[in-house]
Amino acid sequence: MACVYIPVQNSEEEVRVALDQLPRDASDILDILKAEQAPLDLWLMIAREYFKQGKLEQFRQILEEGSSPEIDDYYADVRYERIAILNALGAYYSYLGKIETKQREKEEHFILATQYYNKASRIDMHEPSTWVGKGQLLLAKGEVEQASAAFKIVLDGDRDNVPALLGQACVEFNRGRFSDSLELYKRALQVYPGCPAAVRLGIGLCRYKLGQFEKARQAFERVLQLDPENVEALVSLAIMDLRTNEAAGIRKGMLEMQRAFEIYPYCAMALNYLANHFFFTGQHFLVEQLTETALAVTNHGPTKAHSYYNLARSYHSKGDYDKAGVYYMASVKEVNKPHEFVFPYFGLGQVQLKLGDLKSALSNFEKVLEVYPDNCETLKVLGHIYVQLGQIDKGMEFMRKATKIDPRDAQAFLELGELLILSDTGAALDAFKTARILFKKGGQEAPIELLNNIGVLQFERGEFELAQQTFNEALGDGIWVTFIGDEKKSSASTIQFKDMKLFHDLESNGHHVEVPWDKVTVLFNLARLLEQLNKSGTASILYRLILFKYPDYIDAYLRLAAIAKAQNNVLLSIELVNDALKVNDKCSNALSMLGELELKNDDWVKAKETLRAASDATDGKDSYAILSLGNWNYFAAIRNEKRNPKLEATHLEKSKELYTKVLLQHPANLYAANGAGVVFAEKGHFDVSKDIFTQVQEAASGSVFVQMPDVWINLAHVYFAQGNFALAVKMYQNCLRKFYYNTDSQILLYLARTHYEAEQWQDCIKTLLRAIHLAPSNYTLRFDAGVAMQKFSASTLQKAKRTADEVRSTVAELQNAVRIFSQLSAASNLHIHGFDEKKIDTHVGYCNHLLSAAKVHLEAAEREEQQIRQRQELARQVAIAEEARRKAEEQRKYQLERRKQEDELKRVQQQEEHFRRVKEQWKSTQGSKRRERSDDEEGGTNEKRRRKGGKKRKKDKHSKSRYDTEETEADMMGEQEVEDEDVDYGEPKTQMNDDDAEENAQGLLAAAGLEDSDADDEPAAPSAASRRRRALSESDDDEPLERQSSPIRENSADLHESDGEIRDRDKTYRDDASDEEKQD
Amino acid sequence: MKLGGIKSVENAHDDSVWAVTWVPATQTRPPLLLTGSIDETVRIWRSDELVLERTNTGHSLGVVSVAAHPLGSIAASSSIDSFVRVFDIDSNATIATLEAPPSEVWQMRFDPKGAILAVAGGGSASVKLWDTSTWEIVATLSIPWPEGPGPKSTDKSGSKKFVLSVAWSPDGKRLACGSMDGTISVFDVPRAKFLHHLEGHFMPVRSLVYSPFDPRLLFSASDDAHVHMYDADGKGLIGSMSGHSSWVLSVDVSPDGAAIATGSSDKTVKLWDLSMRAAVQTMTNHSDQVWGLAFRPPGGDLRSGRLASVSDDKSISLYDYS
Repeated sequence: MACVYIPVQNSEEEVRVALDQLPRDASDILDILKAEQAPLDLWLMIAREYFKQGKLEQFRQILEEGSSPEIDDYYADVRYERIAILNALGAYYSYLGKIETKQREKEEHFILATQYYNKASRIDMHEPSTWVGKGQLLLAKGEVEQASAAFKIVLDGDRDNVPALLGQACVEFNRGRFSDSLELYKRALQVYPGCPAAVRLGIGLCRYKLGQFEKARQAFERVLQLDPENVEALVSLAIMDLRTNEAAGIRKGMLEMQRAFEIYPYCAMALNYLANHFFFTGQHFLVEQLTETALAVTNHGPTKAHSYYNLARSYHSKGDYDKAGVYYMASVKEVNKPHEFVFPYFGLGQVQLKLGDLKSALSNFEKVLEVYPDNCETLKVLGHIYVQLGQIDKGMEFMRKATKIDPRDAQAFLELGELLILSDTGAALDAFKTARILFKKGGQEAPIELLNNIGVLQFERGEFELAQQTFNEALGDGIWVTFIGDEKKSSASTIQFKDMKLFHDLESNGHHVEVPWDKVTVLFNLARLLEQLNKSGTASILYRLILFKYPDYIDAYLRLAAIAKAQNNVLLSIELVNDALKVNDKCSNALSMLGELELKNDDWVKAKETLRAASDATDGKDSYAILSLGNWNYFAAIRNEKRNPKLEATHLEKSKELYTKVLLQHPANLYAANGAGVVFAEKGHFDVSKDIFTQVQEAASGSVFVQMPDVWINLAHVYFAQGNFALAVKMYQNCLRKFYYNTDSQILLYLARTHYEAEQWQDCIKTLLRAIHLAPSNYTLRFDAGVAMQKFSASTLQKAKRTADEVRSTVAELQNAVRIFSQLSAASNLHIHGFDEKKIDTHVGYCNHLLSAAKVHLEAAEREEQQIRQRQELARQVAIAEEARRKAEEQRKYQLERRKQEDELKRVQQQEEHFRRVKEQWKSTQGSKRRERSDDEEGGTNEKRRRKGGKKRKKDKHSKSRYDTEETEADMMGEQEVEDEDVDYGEPKTQMNDDDAEENAQGLLAAAGLEDSDADDEPAAPSAASRRRRALSESDDDEPLERQSSPIRENSADLHESDGEIRDRDKTYRDDASDEEKQD
Repeated sequence: MKLGGIKSVENAHDDSVWAVTWVPATQTRPPLLLTGSIDETVRIWRSDELVLERTNTGHSLGVVSVAAHPLGSIAASSSIDSFVRVFDIDSNATIATLEAPPSEVWQMRFDPKGAILAVAGGGSASVKLWDTSTWEIVATLSIPWPEGPGPKSTDKSGSKKFVLSVAWSPDGKRLACGSMDGTISVFDVPRAKFLHHLEGHFMPVRSLVYSPFDPRLLFSASDDAHVHMYDADGKGLIGSMSGHSSWVLSVDVSPDGAAIATGSSDKTVKLWDLSMRAAVQTMTNHSDQVWGLAFRPPGGDLRSGRLASVSDDKSISLYDYS
């Protein structure tokens, strides 16, 4: 056993002190040392021994005694030992300061250490070991540059000073100059090959940092050979093994970590890594324990950051966002620059996002992005945040970048698609489709929401088949398949909109009627699509299926109500809407629809209340409700039967105000714009309204959900009011064809009115007939047709020149008119149309009068015609006589000739006969006689036949000539038109009469609905102004009937689709930590 | 079952064609097709080439309905001016001109035996029955006013019970008529008695037809784009078929009773398989509303089925039904 011998003063004796048997109380030794005035190196040796044995108190006591002022005095000339003692103390306090975690005590230790070193320097300011100690102290304090200066002083004196070399290596390492550091370590090792394992650890770390992992590993392993308990080497090796990212490597790494932990349980690094590991295995309790320990034992910023991060992550994944946020924040505080350790920023961002602090989250994610500019997750999250903050463009930019960087990230495409929906549905659809393909390629099932979105977009673009496929794919298998496939079942149960028996039956039959919550939206959208495809039966079942399982699904009620409404089943529709209101009596959609239905039911006051309620339910933010109110006011303005101009103006003003309000909220609201246009038109500002309508019309084309026939009609009204009849006609016709399958009698009425105004009587009448055919029970149309015929007739009779045919057709039309009016008159007893009987009688009377007038005309025309015909007849007869004479002559000649021929023939025959007779006589038999007789007969018939033929020919000729004369007659009639003027008997009289009648007719017309629709539609049309006045003056005693028929369909600011139309685009934003965390 | 286009005649009339019916074959001639148009004429066509046999004039205002006697010798045509003209098909001689003011005239049908001509009387809320030998009215089948306050129901759109369409049951004992408000009324003809309403439509019913085999089964076409199947005696709605995107203007049932055909404002003709209650075929020959269609009645040596449809596009289309 090693001993020290303390020489006894003034003697040859020595006190032997066994180093392993040092007394517990250092004072004993101290007494001896003092008493014997032992050399200082012995003091140092004993102190070191205490230190080695862990008896720090004794160590400190001896050294402090050894550096006391008395000693200084006494050993004043022993410089080196005194310095050594001071340096030892300095190093001791440096070490204390280094491991101390409490800031104040740490400071105190460092101060003490500094004092000792300074004292040592005062003894000899060139002593290298002092400088090395100072360097170490500065390093411990983190003052790297000064430390470097201290080491440099030493190395300048002795370039092989090992401690200084090591110190400098450490400095270089801290400065990040790993290759310089490596060189220094190497040199230290060369100079002093037996130096402790720690030097090799330094080499290993340098190599690791330089990326020379194999050499680093060798170095660490060498360290462990030399010192199997070297925790740092173990941890380093473990980290390297963990980094291999292979199962075997990780397992080995964890074993090493564990060993390190067992050897020294307070190595923060090991603790952190262990915590990290347990985080992934989900043992959160362990994570917290380990990290808390790590935090307690280390003062090293980055390590602490790591610990906090681990802790935060643990809480984050447990869903304790508040705590997670606190720890992330702590972690972030420990990190000086995001570049060093960026993960807590990400985590903090996530937590802040979760807690709704978008701005802070944004700044944190942006820091992450600075470090990793191409990180997809960060780009996506940033994109998402920007969108949330309303900076759509910026959000989109980030998303685009994310998809560009990783074109296989389905999630990114999905989110990009969701962003694009707002602006560019086509691009959105493309993005969604890409996402879907990516999901498929990855062997994953595409999320239902994604398919739903694709389906909806396809639906919107009118690709109904595709949309249906998509929805079906999203729905997969389920109870609904039985309804979608089987039309028979669906047709049978459409009968009752509220019938749930079907489902009860299915359930009692053992079927499981189940609708997963995440498929309800898709089911709803599919039903909506089926509606569009006219399969309202199946749609109705699907809606009911939804309601069967989810009786609070208001939109399903509303769609059912909409289907009922489309079938004109108003009462049922109202009932269904009320069901929806039972679920939520503040649902503005339901209230709006109810209002609409009440309007349809002619329940004005109630409708207004309901619409108000709808508007109030949304604090006046629901454009639909406001628009409806606007419409209500507009209707009220034009509906009033007595046309109170003041009231009208108020209502118009009010409706304009409401439309404007909507426009302010939503400048792109087509319906509001349309409404505003209508009000302008009502006030006579046709140019303004035309501009508005044209713009709305342009905007409205393109989506299957926007169907705005009204704007077409309004535009046509404006053209009409401006006298541009041709364009108006075209516009009405296009509208009819495009939106109504030509089934709207109301537009036909507008069309007829335009024709009427353009004096295209036949078109007008035809159009009215079509309208009657479409709406047989609308007697007003019949009345209008009668008026049109009457007007046509009157105008024809007024014409200066007309043919008998024209007059004849006039008479026919008049007869039709009379028939129509008399029918109406007869029907009026039945009170089925409500026309004023007297008025119809007036029309009948007038028509009859016209008819009689026309008869005079007709007679005149016919007389003229007759005369002409007589003249022609005469001429013809002359011609015929001539012809007959000629023919007779010819005949005579012919017959003469024939007789001659016959005579000749007879003569020849006679001669022949004679000759034969002579011959007979010669032969003289009985048979010959008989023969002779038959021959004779033959000749007779021959002749007869020939005569007959001649007669026939004559007849032919005769009939042909008659045709000829008829043709010429027709020609002459044509000519006669020109000289018709001389047929003006009685013209002055009828003319006057006509004028009279004209006035009368105009008045009557004003009465008849035709004129009325004018008054309604374009009140201030300059051309119609005078007529309108008349219309107004007469409208009091005239039937108000037509008014209802001209109600301007502008009503339509009625957004057909809002009937519970929703297009769900389910957003599922996933910011649960686990997803993104995986990339760590 | 299937429809195959055989022939289309463009510009068969000068303007929209509104009515069509088949005239059954007689001993001397094959079946003929009868069409009526807004151009105020009735035309007779020889099947299958659709050669125009004759053009009948004499109506003013559009021809809205044509009907042929089951024996094939006489036919009736009616127009908006509410005259019915009964004429001999082969000679075009007018047999009678019928009118019953103030009742107007819409759809007409001869009963299966040919003894009665039923005429839908529009706003008179009645169906007039004319004896086909004397051409006198034998009965007026009136739809009773609905209960409740009377005057309120007089809407400005005229009577709610405006009668548009009629149909005879195959045994001739029942008559159904469809009205503007969507209700269908069923009458017992021998007793001239109103039986009940069939509900389910709320928009005009423009065409009705009984199944040829089941005297209870009635099909109706309505502006609500649906075709309904009713048990006409049991008051029950059996089924509802949707598929047209606009008004269904006409419906006819195939002679074998297995299918119905519908014509619609959506310009299509659809063939429906009754066993599946689903549209199995959609014909798009026409370019405007299809106002009328009719299956050729069976009889004689005619094996093959024929369907004719007429449209606002002035054309007639003929299909093979198999």
